[in-house]
Amino acid sequence: MITIFGVPSVVLFGQLLLGLINGAFYAMLSLGLAVIFGMMNIVNFAHGALYMMGALGAWILLEYFGIGYWWALVLAPLGVGIFGIVIERTMLRPLYKLDHLYGMLLTFGLSLIIQGVFRDWFGSSGQPYAIPAALSGGTNLGFMFLPTYRAWVIVASLVVCLGTWFVIERTKLGSYLRAATENAPLVQAFGIDVPRMVMLTFGAGVALAALAGVLAAPIYQVNPLMGADVIIVVFAVVVIGGMGSIMGAIVTGFLVGLVEGLTRAFYPQGSSTVVFVMMAIVLLLRPAGLFGSKPEAAGGVHVSLDAPAPAFRTEILLFLGMAALLIIGPAFVYSGFLMKAMLFALFACAFNLIAGYGRLVSFGHAMFLGTAGYVCGHAAKVWGLTPELAILTGTLSATVLGVVTGWLAIRSRGIYFAMVTLALAQMIYFVALQAPFTGGEDGLQNIPRGKLFGLFDLNDHTLLYGFVLVVFLGGFLLIAQVVRSPFGQVLKAIREHEPRAQSLGYSTDHYKLAAFTLSATLAGLAGATKAVVLQLASLTDVHWGMSGEVLLMTFLGGVGTLYGPVAGAFIVIAMQNYLASLGQWVTVIHGAIFVVCVLAFRRGLVGELIAFLGRSRKPATPAKTPQAAPEAG
Amino acid sequence: MANVLEARGLSREFGGFRAVSNVDFALKEGTIHAVIGPNGAGKSTLFNLLTKFLSPSEGRILHKGEDVTALRPPAMARRGVVRSFQISAVFAGLTVRENIEMALLRTNGIGWSFFSSIARRPAIRRRVDEMISRFSLDEHADTQAGNLSYGRKRVLELATTLALDPDVLLLDEPMAGLGHEDIGRITDLVRESGKGRTILLVEHNMRVVSDLADQITVMVRGEVLAEGSYAEVSSRPDVIAAYTGGQHHG
Ligand SMILES: Nc1ncnc2c1ncn2[C@@H]1O[C@H](COP(=O)(O)OP(=O)(O)OP(=O)(O)O)[C@@H](O)[C@H]1O
Ligand SMILES: [Mg+2]
Repeated sequence: MITIFGVPSVVLFGQLLLGLINGAFYAMLSLGLAVIFGMMNIVNFAHGALYMMGALGAWILLEYFGIGYWWALVLAPLGVGIFGIVIERTMLRPLYKLDHLYGMLLTFGLSLIIQGVFRDWFGSSGQPYAIPAALSGGTNLGFMFLPTYRAWVIVASLVVCLGTWFVIERTKLGSYLRAATENAPLVQAFGIDVPRMVMLTFGAGVALAALAGVLAAPIYQVNPLMGADVIIVVFAVVVIGGMGSIMGAIVTGFLVGLVEGLTRAFYPQGSSTVVFVMMAIVLLLRPAGLFGSKPEAAGGVHVSLDAPAPAFRTEILLFLGMAALLIIGPAFVYSGFLMKAMLFALFACAFNLIAGYGRLVSFGHAMFLGTAGYVCGHAAKVWGLTPELAILTGTLSATVLGVVTGWLAIRSRGIYFAMVTLALAQMIYFVALQAPFTGGEDGLQNIPRGKLFGLFDLNDHTLLYGFVLVVFLGGFLLIAQVVRSPFGQVLKAIREHEPRAQSLGYSTDHYKLAAFTLSATLAGLAGATKAVVLQLASLTDVHWGMSGEVLLMTFLGGVGTLYGPVAGAFIVIAMQNYLASLGQWVTVIHGAIFVVCVLAFRRGLVGELIAFLGRSRKPATPAKTPQAAPEAG
Repeated sequence: MANVLEARGLSREFGGFRAVSNVDFALKEGTIHAVIGPNGAGKSTLFNLLTKFLSPSEGRILHKGEDVTALRPPAMARRGVVRSFQISAVFAGLTVRENIEMALLRTNGIGWSFFSSIARRPAIRRRVDEMISRFSLDEHADTQAGNLSYGRKRVLELATTLALDPDVLLLDEPMAGLGHEDIGRITDLVRESGKGRTILLVEHNMRVVSDLADQITVMVRGEVLAEGSYAEVSSRPDVIAAYTGGQHHG
């Protein structure tokens, strides 16, 4: 048997082939993302869900209509493309003028809806899809066995990718497309219907995802979540390659697939994280990506959603009101629910500190919640620390993680920041899945609550509730103070106009890193406390779904308001508690809330309320926010 | 007079296109110096280079004789070299008062404070009040800057910049988009601010330039075409040709 660096050559070539196949899918998906982004500045989070729809579409065609693979290659992309066009017309079009993040949020909501609906329909177990007869079998190449279908996938994807590249870079149609991205009004003036072109481009990009899905159906199991993790890897591919370039997307896709394959051959434990490590290295050495030319994308028009801060006295009354409600709460509502909601509220407030006040919308904040939970659980269970020390240890682990990931992530902004944080969090997820001390799929169970300061037994429910209340109110007050402090003012100024803040002499990166780290720390405090309260630290808390939930809470309640995230957290947790019987439909409802919030309700509940009160109080003033400075009284 | 700011062989390319090409340039202490030139001549790019918002492809930048080519924009600002932007740059979500405070938080070293409050710093409040009334923004002190008229935004930007008390002020088209009255007001404010400071100014309005500038640099296609007083440059045929769209010069 021939071995290469200790790995049998058959294994090595097998893994390289698999890497090439994965790479083909990464390339097709990141190509579609690049085309859509280039044309309409939208990061299509639903791309993974649409890829899944392509695969599932092929399966449905075969199962219910007896329509085979070759027709599916045409029909599924066509159907998904039309679906995409409907989405573009009805939902995306109003967003082009807004911050690009809204497009990402909306399509994130869409992906939740699509995946939820299909999971309810099909369950989450995979369905096999047979390789078409004409492509079954294989060839022995001497050094390895090459299945015909896999060779076909590689050739087909190369043809599709290079064909797309050719159309965009070398044809007249492509030159219109490129011109329209540079200067839409001018192209419009030439008599070209730009909105229609945008619509068709989106349809085509989405059809490309569905085509990849059909090609993938015979290789991977067809299931409703097959696109969920792929899309995160593809985001990392996009960051590695750099957003601006079509060829870059293709080359990087294959490259990442190959690197993954090599890693699987030589160091299998690292195969699911290697792409994120690559991304981190690229961010350090070439922030614009391997092929990117634009280091930062234009931000779109920033609409300030900031509600004016209420007067200081009102703030104190509001806080006392909230504290009073929470103190008497257990008399009326199940205290376990209240504790959970308070901890998520703290998590959401921490998230809001950077997303709302710093406008750095992280899509990976679960990593702080989850990591702190694991470390705290480990400290309490294995090292036998008292709860306050275990929580402190967990919280500090989130601080450290915050410094490291923040240092990487703040090199990018806007949607790039969102993608980078998402990818870094996915790396942490895989580490948590594989690390020896996290308990894998089971998580850390039966974490002892112990005695606080060696005195107060937290197994006593009243004491436990009091402890959680203190943690939440303390964290909330800290955030409220930071937001009002000079540091908070600098943070808001950076959000409003970063170059201007730099021109006044502020090292804006340092401020952003400090805010990010503080936010990570408080998210960690929530996660660590949660581990003690629920006596459990599990993968759910590091999963991207959790990062999505905190986004949901914050946007539903009102981003950039103090009480919005609290309200949002209580609503979302209540929905989960009381609507649990709805199963997958809870996910669908979450997705729908995202869509509604982005389309019609961008200030969130509390933000809209403040705006409404502001309007009704001063009906004569057209200006939004004439308010006394908080300290004036 | 000493050179406060100096560029030597400064160039900047954007994908092969030289927006600023081998520019030698000196800003003398205490002067008001204008850079003029047709659209796309590279004036804003030169500003971005001098304040380090862009890195030069070639060449060096000196501040008071020290090489500052490697500095980042905030460091440049902390040395007292402060710029404004061609498109008015205010913190839209902050009130007028808070905008001006932004200058003073840093110079008073409390930008990193998580707990102290401006209310407890009477010196800062006084200085903010003083700037507000000096720039006639009293009525709008508690208005969000985003809701101001364009002219007021420009005034606020200037007020914030001057609250830093910079040694060198770089103003990129401070009169752009302003009406007649505002132009007069800001011209006076700039002239007044010029006392004890050095000002570099990009401006298309020739009336303003002839009013204010002691020294003028004419840029065309990334290069310095002429330098001198208003009378000297305005009479040169190559300058006139550059402005009237003539293709050759020199
Ligand atoms: N970031 C950039 N990328 C590519 N090209 C750029 C960039 N910034 C400026 N340019 C180009 O460099 C040239 C000079 O631009 P600059 O903004 O410096 O001109 P200007 O003299 O300030 O013009 P105006 O009077 O219109 O403000 C222009 O042709 C412009 O298109
Ligand atoms: Mg300019």
